[in-house]
Amino acid sequence: MSDDTNHADTQHTLHPLKKIEIIVRGEKEPFVKDLLDESTVSGYTIHHNVTGRGEHGFHEGRLLFNDRDGLVMFFAVGQEEAIQTIVDGLTPLFEKSSGVMFVSDTQVVRLDKFQQED
Amino acid sequence: MPIDRSVVRARIENAAEYVGPLWPLQTFNAANPLLGFEDQPFDRAVQKAGQLFGGRGYPGPTVFRQAWENGEIDADVLTRHLAEHGITERPEVLLDRMDADAAGRDAVPADQPLDRVLTKWLAAFLDQGQAAWPMPNRADGFYAAWRTVAPYDGDIPGVDRPSDLPGTVVEAFEAVLESYPEARWEPIFVHHLTALPGWTGFIKWRSRRADTAWQAAHPISLTEYLAVRLTLADRMGAAIAPDRTDELPTNGTDQPVLPRIWLRAWEESYRTRLLDDLRQTQQTPPSAADAGRPDAQLVFCIDTRSEVIRRHIEQQGPYETHGYAGFFGVPMQHQPYGTEARVKSCPPIVDPKHRILERPAEPHRAQADRYDWWARLQKAGTTLLKTLKKNVAAVFGFVEGSGGFFGAAMAARTLAPSGLSRLDEALDDWLPGPASFCEPTVDRAPPADAEAEEGLPVGLADEAKVLYAEAAFRLMGWTDSFAPVVVFTGHGSQTPNNPYKASLDCGACAGNPGGPNARVLAAICNEDAVQEALRERGIAIPDDTVFLAGQHNTTTDEITLFVDADDPPVAPDALDRLRRDLHAAQADAATERVRTLNTSVDEGRPAAAVRETERRAADWAETRPEWGLAGNAAFIVGPRALTRGLDLDGRCFLHSYDWATDDDGTALENIMTGPLVVGEWINTQYYFSTVDNAAYGSGSKVTQNVVGKLGVVQGNGGDLMSGLPLQSLKADDEHVHHRPLRLMALIQAPTDRVEAILDRHAAVAHLFDHEWMHLTVMDPEQDDAFVHYQPGGGWHARPAPDASTATRAPASAGRPS
Repeated sequence: MSDDTNHADTQHTLHPLKKIEIIVRGEKEPFVKDLLDESTVSGYTIHHNVTGRGEHGFHEGRLLFNDRDGLVMFFAVGQEEAIQTIVDGLTPLFEKSSGVMFVSDTQVVRLDKFQQED
Repeated sequence: MPIDRSVVRARIENAAEYVGPLWPLQTFNAANPLLGFEDQPFDRAVQKAGQLFGGRGYPGPTVFRQAWENGEIDADVLTRHLAEHGITERPEVLLDRMDADAAGRDAVPADQPLDRVLTKWLAAFLDQGQAAWPMPNRADGFYAAWRTVAPYDGDIPGVDRPSDLPGTVVEAFEAVLESYPEARWEPIFVHHLTALPGWTGFIKWRSRRADTAWQAAHPISLTEYLAVRLTLADRMGAAIAPDRTDELPTNGTDQPVLPRIWLRAWEESYRTRLLDDLRQTQQTPPSAADAGRPDAQLVFCIDTRSEVIRRHIEQQGPYETHGYAGFFGVPMQHQPYGTEARVKSCPPIVDPKHRILERPAEPHRAQADRYDWWARLQKAGTTLLKTLKKNVAAVFGFVEGSGGFFGAAMAARTLAPSGLSRLDEALDDWLPGPASFCEPTVDRAPPADAEAEEGLPVGLADEAKVLYAEAAFRLMGWTDSFAPVVVFTGHGSQTPNNPYKASLDCGACAGNPGGPNARVLAAICNEDAVQEALRERGIAIPDDTVFLAGQHNTTTDEITLFVDADDPPVAPDALDRLRRDLHAAQADAATERVRTLNTSVDEGRPAAAVRETERRAADWAETRPEWGLAGNAAFIVGPRALTRGLDLDGRCFLHSYDWATDDDGTALENIMTGPLVVGEWINTQYYFSTVDNAAYGSGSKVTQNVVGKLGVVQGNGGDLMSGLPLQSLKADDEHVHHRPLRLMALIQAPTDRVEAILDRHAAVAHLFDHEWMHLTVMDPEQDDAFVHYQPGGGWHARPAPDASTATRAPASAGRPS
């Protein structure tokens, strides 16, 4: 994890946070959304119709008449504790359902945007 | 012991996989009751489901005996399948053995006090407008509302006040789960969710995707259900973690071998005969009448019922028919005229993207005003009647005074349903309904209006219009040869006093009639800008082609065309001819269908057959207005030329497709991932409702009661029944009408194209790999040879009539699984 970094030329300060990326089948979208809504991350992004290959084979994203079998990707940024809660909620899910999650270090400029909500 | 809420929720999510979603009656959607098991091979899945729900996974011996005696199972095929398992006894002996094995299986489940108490409160909480006196505090959620009233329930011991119960959902879980490690939570949840799969299936639907006003006003989730159930179990001394919940059902070795073999032999027999018929049709040269420009082309839903009427329309003259998903590719929510109700009108696997309202067309404003005046009067009358019926003081005097009138009305409905139906029609002629003066709002609302509307955008953007119109013609492989009249024909049933009406309406429209979607696509296709855009994309619509919308009444086979009577867009004589031929096709189709409906109608009198179907459509005591999709067995993807002239007995979904106009396979990909999956849902629902109606169906209509305006129960309580009623599946107590076969998909396309699509769509490939349905390809690049997909990948050629074993096809590249 990198420390706060000062760039003399821009004067922007980067603050370290954690990022989680989650890919699940479309039918699990409500579950993950609820989990993120109840966590302390301040927001998240959803990509629908994600394409890719996983353990169970290939999943093509762009389906005209099927919103259920497509893949959905979420990503969210927050404090380590908030991300850990999300990981705790997803770990049991992936014992039964297909899907993946990745947690990594990231940095943001406007830390107040990612502060915990009350 | 503090528990991690997110972990509990994830364990519940996993456990809920075993419960299929259950839609409310108004939007009854066919779905596989074992949807959560589709990631497993069929044979293992039905065994596991049998352990959880007590349901049978294969047809019973009576059903096999009927098929055997009717000659539906080829002796040669059966003998070969049996021999592969080393079984050499005669089929009759094996049927007797299956009879003996089945004896005593249908034990009546024990009455569980826990279930009785819980279903009482579930029915009260989930009520969607049936109860005159609703349960209090529902806005607080199921657990909180139940906790408030539980002290008044004499069946729950030791609860004198709400504070005797855990204060919150989390505390309820903590109180019950504290003595169990996390590893045991999931089996506990599975046990308690599958104890009432009907109610939990409904909660799953309502809490996950439904987004209904009822859910917003009275929230419930499976977590709240489990909090109440586990607390109740604790108080009532019922088991929290019964003996067998240490682990989920495992793969046993006592699989029912004989029924499995018989089912496969039956399926292969059906497939072989169908493919033989198709081969014969291929060898018949097209007649000269097929060469010219047809008078009209009619596009029907892929629904199996369309096959019958299409065949009879084609026999009337120069008509062509096509098959396309009955929501006509428009993922919309429909708001009928004069109501606030917003109805989803697209398949269960598609989310609506647009809202379509019905608005009076300007030239018909006066007609709309007249209708509105009478509608307001009728509404006031209905409200007054409801008040009088439900008001404690008024009800006695009301019954006294009005009993004679209601008695006479009841007698008339029972003794003369057809007469009342004609009266209804006369009233409709006198005061035409909204369909005669409304048009769908296909255009995007101006920004000012759009802001005022909630939810989905009203109307369609120009790009969306072109997208849906192009998708329709591309998927059907129809890029030229347009007739002067093209009719998009949705379908709906006509049946009074029938909680299962939605199951007879269009499955691709979420259990609603498909007419509104047909009107939207017709309106789009009539727009000059859309036609111009389509021509630029290579879809050559002539200037003189007019698109109309219509609706096929599947109970009577009548087809209504939605045409402005004051300003018809088609020449009157052409319209008259079309209507006359549709009327003649109705008589022929009705004659064919009444033969299967246990009637004594004289087959030589088509008018009598039509009258019989009209009686069924009007009779409030009729338990079988029509057969719905009973009999469905195959899903054929290919041009109509493949099946034209063939009597498929209303058993095939027909989706038009032309492999030659779909080089990159996009159209086929959308058919296989959309309509074909919906076909599999419908087929599995009919299959399981037939093989075990008590576990996966809904029993006899005679003893059903509607609860909460959302579902039915048998008798006066218990679990919600989830599947189809007996009268939709069986001809009588002994004989099934629906033959429970897994869906056979037949696609005319190059094998490598189909293979590439399976490679890109693991979810679809799994349905074939796990044998939830079968796949046969008719490969036009190999002289239309039939090749069969092998579970796990690879292809087999069809066994030749004189061969006893299958041979490898030339193009049998194995697909990694």
